[in-house]
Amino acid sequence: MSDDSGLWLLLAGPVGATALYWTLYRYYRNTDKSHGFERETKVRAQPVAGTDIKVDEITGTQRTRINGDNVSDYRTRVQRIRDEFS
Amino acid sequence: MADSERLSPRPVNGPGSPRDVPPRPGTQPVDPALPEAIRQELEAPDPAIIDTAATELGDGINRCPKCGSTDIRHKPGSDSLVCLYCRNEWDGTRVEELFGLGEGIADLQGTVIASGARDIAADAATLMTFKCSGCGAEVTINTENAMTARCHWCRQTLGVNEQIANGAVPDAVLPFRIRKEDAVARIRQFVDKRRLFALKAFKAQFTPENVIGVYLPYMIVDGNVSVDVAGKGEIKTREYTRGSDKNKQTYYDADIYQVDRHVDFTVDDLPLESSSERGNLDTRANTNNIINTILPFDTKNAVKWNASYLSGFSSEKRDSNIEHLRPRLEDQLLSIGRAQVENSVRRYNRGVRWEQEKLDVHGSRWVSMYLPVWLYSYHQTGANGGMLHYIAVNARTGETMGSVPVQQWKLLLAALTVGTILETIAIAILVNFS
Repeated sequence: MSDDSGLWLLLAGPVGATALYWTLYRYYRNTDKSHGFERETKVRAQPVAGTDIKVDEITGTQRTRINGDNVSDYRTRVQRIRDEFS
Repeated sequence: MADSERLSPRPVNGPGSPRDVPPRPGTQPVDPALPEAIRQELEAPDPAIIDTAATELGDGINRCPKCGSTDIRHKPGSDSLVCLYCRNEWDGTRVEELFGLGEGIADLQGTVIASGARDIAADAATLMTFKCSGCGAEVTINTENAMTARCHWCRQTLGVNEQIANGAVPDAVLPFRIRKEDAVARIRQFVDKRRLFALKAFKAQFTPENVIGVYLPYMIVDGNVSVDVAGKGEIKTREYTRGSDKNKQTYYDADIYQVDRHVDFTVDDLPLESSSERGNLDTRANTNNIINTILPFDTKNAVKWNASYLSGFSSEKRDSNIEHLRPRLEDQLLSIGRAQVENSVRRYNRGVRWEQEKLDVHGSRWVSMYLPVWLYSYHQTGANGGMLHYIAVNARTGETMGSVPVQQWKLLLAALTVGTILETIAIAILVNFS
């Protein structure tokens, strides 16, 4: 927060209440659970191949991470490239 | 022209009619002028089929090899069958070795289907009627939820063993290993940790002894796959602060890279729900994700189909064909591919944004199986038919997962109380420091 008056402390109540509600709700209902097939399936992989080409640089950004970081969101699909006639 | 003339059956002739001389067996009249891609599709071989039919067993009565009794059951806690009359025990054959299902995944090409995983015929009946060979009475088995039945006249047990096109008889079955008492104890332990905010009616009616053993249908898939992903990655080059003491801001410089990755891999025994209802994991409408969570099973130990394993258990019939399941398989294979390349992009300390992905399934092998689950269910009344809450125990590994309905007002009250306390502390701090 840019203002230093400490008014952001007033958010503690609502944020704490919401966080507790969702934590308990998930603990009981387990709506966020599913089969962790990425880790639990027997996968035999060849060494990963690939290229890394520097294309640009940025200076003076305040973001701590790349915009749209999805390196560990394995299950969010991105644009699918398909071969013709397949 | 008169109407009668137009409606009268006219002899069909000309090219493409039955008046043409049929092609020789084994040949296909493919026009040589067809585009290459269409030509390849037409000339592609039919999917290879592994025949897993249990030819030694027939529909109806199957007898103990030693004494001839039909009172055959699965022996709890083991993978054997036992004759309740003469106590003779024998094991089923593991399909892994029998049909070579663990081998050659890296060489898989095209779609290989085990005979129990073939497409379901639209007109196939789920109710099957047999003439009891013991007494001649008619016995009906509803393959939606059972694979064996007792003849109510002569008490012989009859089972469905022949692979018919209704999807009920799979290639293999994985017998129950966790006993009922054990499953009850696990469910009780699971719920005991979640009592405080549980729905009052749920706690009042909680009787884990009512758990039922169900064989659920799955497709077990092996695949030989390549995944390509492309995106942008950033590496931090500089970190610095600007501004005065009171108003310090942190800034970063970074290099942007175009990142491409390719990985070839094989997956062994990926399980997919082959009942369309179980495969629907919408947590707003059902709790099927609970049953999905207790995957995987030790499918390597599955044995050749024998309906006697299902005696005394309930079952659910498969209703999805391979083509219905393919999108879900592709989604999971892409996810596995993304997980596989994660380690190779560690040096991008500001993260990677994948923008494109591509999947090539070079080959896949599909085997249908019944897998054992202990299922406890509770129906919570409410809008849209309420919600069916499951607590499921994997009857091989003992993994337990469940959905316990919550008492909403209690949960809200607890959240509000904690929120109020936090808010009071926050206000106290503000008042003291200002």
